[in-house]
Amino acid sequence: MRMLAILSRLAWRNLWRNHRRTVIMLAAVIIGSWAMIFMTALMRGMVTEMIRDGISALPGHVQVHHPEYRDDPSVANLIPIRDAEIAMRFQAGGFEDWATRVRVPAVITSEYDSRGVTLLGIDPTRERNMTFVDYDEVEGRFLESVDDSGVVIGRKLARTLNTKIGKRIVVMSQDPDNEIADRGFRVVGLFTANIVSFEEAFIFVGKTTAQTMLRIDDQVSELAIQGDDYRDVETIYAKVVELVGDGVEVKRWYELDAYLGTMLKVMDGFLLVWIVVIFLALSFGLVNTLVMAVFERVREIGLMLALGMKPRNILGQIVIESLMLLAIGLAIGTVLAWAAVQPIKDGIDVSIVGEGMDMWGMSSVLYPELILSDVILANVVVLVLGFLASLSPAWRAAHYEPVEAITKV
Amino acid sequence: MTAVRCVDLCKTYYQGEEAIKALDHVSIEIAEGGFVCLSAPSGGGKTTLLNAIGGLDKPDSGEVYIAGRRIDNLSKGELAELRLHRIGFVFQAFNLIPVLTAQENVEFVMQVQGVPAARRGKLALDILEEVGIGGLEDRLPADMSGGQQQRVAVARAIVSQPALVLADEPTANLDSKTADGLMELFRHLNEHHKTTFVIATHDKRVMSYAKRLIRMLDGRIVGDIEQDAA
Amino acid sequence: MYLVFRLAWRNLWRHPKRTWLTTGAMLFSNVILVFMISLQFGMYDLMIDNSLRSFTGHLQVQAPGYKDDQKMRQTVADIASLATSLRAALGSDDVAARGAAFALVSSEDRSYGIAVYGVEPGYETNVSTIPGLIIAGRYLRDAAAAEIVIGAALARNLRVGLGDELTLLGSGRDGSFAAAIVNVVGIFDSGLADIDRSIAEIPLDFFQDMFHMEGAGHEIVINAPIIDAVPELQRQVGALLPSGQELVVHDWDALLPGLKQAIRADMSGAFFMYGILVILVAFSVLNTQLMSVLERTHEFGIVMALGLTPGRLGRLVLLETAIMGLLGLLLGALLGTLLTAYFSVYGFAYPGMQEMAEKFNLPAEFFPQLSPLTLLAGPIVVFLFTMLSALYPALRLHWLHPVEAMRAV
Repeated sequence: MRMLAILSRLAWRNLWRNHRRTVIMLAAVIIGSWAMIFMTALMRGMVTEMIRDGISALPGHVQVHHPEYRDDPSVANLIPIRDAEIAMRFQAGGFEDWATRVRVPAVITSEYDSRGVTLLGIDPTRERNMTFVDYDEVEGRFLESVDDSGVVIGRKLARTLNTKIGKRIVVMSQDPDNEIADRGFRVVGLFTANIVSFEEAFIFVGKTTAQTMLRIDDQVSELAIQGDDYRDVETIYAKVVELVGDGVEVKRWYELDAYLGTMLKVMDGFLLVWIVVIFLALSFGLVNTLVMAVFERVREIGLMLALGMKPRNILGQIVIESLMLLAIGLAIGTVLAWAAVQPIKDGIDVSIVGEGMDMWGMSSVLYPELILSDVILANVVVLVLGFLASLSPAWRAAHYEPVEAITKV
Repeated sequence: MTAVRCVDLCKTYYQGEEAIKALDHVSIEIAEGGFVCLSAPSGGGKTTLLNAIGGLDKPDSGEVYIAGRRIDNLSKGELAELRLHRIGFVFQAFNLIPVLTAQENVEFVMQVQGVPAARRGKLALDILEEVGIGGLEDRLPADMSGGQQQRVAVARAIVSQPALVLADEPTANLDSKTADGLMELFRHLNEHHKTTFVIATHDKRVMSYAKRLIRMLDGRIVGDIEQDAA
Repeated sequence: MYLVFRLAWRNLWRHPKRTWLTTGAMLFSNVILVFMISLQFGMYDLMIDNSLRSFTGHLQVQAPGYKDDQKMRQTVADIASLATSLRAALGSDDVAARGAAFALVSSEDRSYGIAVYGVEPGYETNVSTIPGLIIAGRYLRDAAAAEIVIGAALARNLRVGLGDELTLLGSGRDGSFAAAIVNVVGIFDSGLADIDRSIAEIPLDFFQDMFHMEGAGHEIVINAPIIDAVPELQRQVGALLPSGQELVVHDWDALLPGLKQAIRADMSGAFFMYGILVILVAFSVLNTQLMSVLERTHEFGIVMALGLTPGRLGRLVLLETAIMGLLGLLLGALLGTLLTAYFSVYGFAYPGMQEMAEKFNLPAEFFPQLSPLTLLAGPIVVFLFTMLSALYPALRLHWLHPVEAMRAV
């Protein structure tokens, strides 16, 4: 332990012996670690938004369907789940955020045009936290109850159909007997979505209204449950399976959207690669600096060995020196990255590439997300790899022959 | 008690194709409390002999005993221990660790040995006084003259009271006044602390201080006389 | 001149480890840059090509306003003969006329709202990959037959197979009722969910009949042999359009704005990362060269006392840097080429690509392609920044005074 104190003091002072060199290396480490963490924050923010948007499109962390619904998402594959029953069971199970909905393909027709859409019959009071629609951002009004007789469509769809709030449109679908089921609605609200294509794909009506129109009594297409953290759905999943019993299929969000599911993993992998690549770029400079420093100190290393210091302590000294440099650079770089994130916390507007972002499934506002585990990962990886990188010059230094070292010119 | 005993030491260096016999069947015995000068023209083998005695360099053949213990066959770690606790070194140059102050340099060995902070601080300051650079303990080597640096090196060499001090051309970089001062210090320590001194040099002034003068030439001992120190 | 070069070369090898480490940094980043840029640009090319060749094509002739409004009545008159004359004038068969309408398609069990395209069976193959992706049955042949080809997902959703009948219902050009019964003669699988689920193709003549088009259509798709030829082709086609109607030629960027934007978004992210890499390498070089200059202060002092100007010395330093830089460039380009070549034969894949492939019309395994651009762009930028970072040490020599310099250790 006292050796550590001795070595640390020596390491620290040796670090500042050659100001210029240390400062330049430090600058590089700061830039590298800033880039690591800043980029990480941006990417994580991107992926989190994407996943959140994707989940809110599903919606829910866990969904329950008829076993054949996913293959054939039509009115033929419904589940007879009654809200009252569910409410009781779920309350007991501790679930707050859940909703049942009707979801079938339909055709919406205005005076001017028709489009194929997905009809969503929802319970607006239950879906507030789950759906991708921001109730407060809806032009006009959103649905108010399951019996609401209005329809809420996307702004883009309204433009395409040349319709607007107050006008009538007809929604046409099929009932279980393959008969046409249609009904006229008045447009009561227009919604906007982060993912613009949603505005053309989905229309919202009250659940009971939909059920009546489709003549399906109180059956629904899906039951969606939302937990607290999309990263941890296993516990909810298990409970839901228990509560809903047999005859239905229960799926987690990453099973419902394979792309989203792998996104998280892909990004974590990518971040690690990014961190390692930056480190490797730095490592050449780092090892070079150490090699040069050791070379300059050959004589005093020989002296220390001659005086009776053990080789492993020489090694320790060099390693500590390297770690100190990295630690300082990392600390400053991390703080700078944090500082860089603050002003853009409310999002960067990238709408000039908005349609492109839409293609990737992302909104046109980029939110950075700086999380502790990413910061720790970056720091730990750099320190560990730095430790390894410094071993070679340190080992070399520790194995100088005192006599040769002292007499080196 | 014999402080140092060397038996039939041989060591050959190769410079390119040339073989240089640095030690050619060298045997000596030095008693405790001795004040010995090894003299030789440059390259005569005195540094090699000093290094062999100090466990810094292994001879090709022969034996070395320090205080009755054989050292030429010890491991690197054991030799390091030996140097740490029992032998003090003063080199010709680069005796000090550049990033430590005078006091820290003197305390260095004691720190590695594990002497508690308070005690070693006191010992260091006392010895710095004794070598005559009392007020300079917080100076870095770069801020001291050659003579002052050498004194600090001596202080470091003797502060842990080793039985044996080996000095290799300690006055080579000093002006004559400082050199005299240093030799006086050595003599003082030898008389009051009974430290054994083996000093390698080709400076006549230094040789005049020795109680015993061993002359070497081309790796062999060619003279070994007791004399009256100046 | 040769002497200076020899001097510079020897100086570099005074400290082989240092030189190799610095060159190593350049090498490392060059390899990464060559590989990544080849991968990236190859991917972009493929993305563009796949997306366009699948359905949209490189150019489309349309009525003005159709691109944004997609109204049935925004037509191209006499579309078949216009297509024929374009084919003759351009000397190319990669020209095909289409009509597009929204319709309700019903099987016995199900109905869906989809986009129906009337195509020229003989020529559609040249502008779209869909005809080549038939997995069951055959593509359309006869321009007037009551036949239809649908995507595999749609077939599944409608629960139909080859030989089954489908009913089409829609609005004609004049707003009147349009209906027809068609036979499923082919099923295609493009791998793109959006296309497979919501597009069906029927022969153009039959389409024009059913929707009361009176010889008109909505778009003429024209493909160029390579994507770089598109702008020129666009000019040519523009000149060939009949002056009677107001028609426009849109290029693919106008038709699919998201595509270029998606690429641009991805590129900016990538460039940020490459930039950081280059900066870190530059720092490494700066450190090395600075140290190299400083430790030769004494020697430089002597040389200057003997009559060499600081300018000359500066040039020496720059030359040393240039040699290292070239080494790094050549070796890096070489190794980068080898790495890329390996993957261009064996394919490159990372976890998550499979899902991305399904979503974005990309192959699941990727073969990066080298081109002079992708090979040299990265290494050349690294070289430039390397030389830039050597400026400071070289300039420092101007302030060197021979006497002071010689006093240095």
